[in-house]
Amino acid sequence: MYVRPFGYTRPASPLEACEHLRRDDGAKVLAGGQSLLPLVNLGLSTPSLLVDIQSLGDLHGLHLEGEQLVIGASTTHRMLERDAQVRRVAPLLAASVREVGNLRVRNRGTIGGSVAHADPAAELPMCLIVLEARYLVDNGARVRSVPAADFATGFLTTRLAPDELLTRIEVPAAGPDWGWGFQEVARRAGDFALVAAAAIARCEGTLVADLRIGLAGVAPRPVRCPTLEAAARGRSPEALPELAPLVDPDIAPSDDSFTPAHYRAHLARVLAIRAAQDAARRSLDVRAA
Amino acid sequence: MTDATSRITVNGRELECRAAAHLSLLRWLRDHVGALEVKYGCGEGVCGACAVLIDGQAVNSCLVLAAQIDGRAVTTSAGLGSPSGGLGRLQQAFLDRGAAQCGFCTGGMLVTAAEFAGAGEALDRRSIRDALHGNLCRCTGYQAIVDAVDDVLRDQGSSSPPAGGWT
Repeated sequence: MYVRPFGYTRPASPLEACEHLRRDDGAKVLAGGQSLLPLVNLGLSTPSLLVDIQSLGDLHGLHLEGEQLVIGASTTHRMLERDAQVRRVAPLLAASVREVGNLRVRNRGTIGGSVAHADPAAELPMCLIVLEARYLVDNGARVRSVPAADFATGFLTTRLAPDELLTRIEVPAAGPDWGWGFQEVARRAGDFALVAAAAIARCEGTLVADLRIGLAGVAPRPVRCPTLEAAARGRSPEALPELAPLVDPDIAPSDDSFTPAHYRAHLARVLAIRAAQDAARRSLDVRAA
Repeated sequence: MTDATSRITVNGRELECRAAAHLSLLRWLRDHVGALEVKYGCGEGVCGACAVLIDGQAVNSCLVLAAQIDGRAVTTSAGLGSPSGGLGRLQQAFLDRGAAQCGFCTGGMLVTAAEFAGAGEALDRRSIRDALHGNLCRCTGYQAIVDAVDDVLRDQGSSSPPAGGWT
């Protein structure tokens, strides 16, 4: 763990942070450090300067703003996990965040860090595309809003320009008649998912009226399953399993040293349907209550 | 800046940390403070041997820079004793249950359990295992470790920690 030396700075504003990023090609944003510092310790990332954004108070914490949950980029996983509002307006996030890493990683690791790191097997970026969140991105001069679905462009890469900072995450609150489902298979507790699936659904009568499904670990970035989503409308939750092959057009799993692509594809079909059925049944439960 | 100065309290002692900016909290604790109870296992945040509390929250000290925690208070497993100077409850329970084999993971187990127990969230063994799943014991001595944490939680008999926490 003898790392290549780097500088460290704690800017007083997002503007100052972006200026550091603009001036120094090798500068990287440091928040909780739970993705960046392992890469640095392993020698896979050799930044010249770490720009620590943790003292930027505006980026820390979460609150309800009208019909949406606003999460500051440097809010930790643990804050999300323990917040009663999150359990009420975004129960999918409350459930999935418990599957991230372990207690110590969640104490330090930030939501913005997970999104900006863009690991294709990460739980939260997948849930955020299902919830149709938007990300606010600041370069010190101008703020733009990027839909979560467009943010990651591939493996560990995003639409963030080198001098831009992800500052906040806006999650529309799901209506009370929406249910959620979350499924994950990982080799060990706390690992990144081999495959994870997240779904939210709204039923009318006994049938699915709206369904959104996301998958992680089956493409270079998290994906939605529009083919399956469209086919599920008007069906009962029990009739969803026959739609499992409709996951295939929207995934592109690859082989790695441990897991063949066909196994990931199999998991994707199984977990997508389980998550969708859980979501639909929870919606029916709410309507029955 | 390539050097950083921070004031960090370690087990109640306020210290000045003047070090290269890239120095991890783990290396500062071991090489500069002499807190050898904090172990270097993996350096990737996976094993939990380097766990310490920062203001009561368990973290991997290999994934924190000393420069990042100016003004904060660090507690290592050696700082979990009772105020009178004897063993703390968790430490005593680990001793009673023989919850250390080679001992390398023990400090991290104690520190993680200290936060988990202090939060008063979970009392059953499954929850204890869940909360400790990021701490690896390569001797595989998990049973006694879970027993020890379970003893402390049962002794309390309620979910509210006493003043000063469970330690």
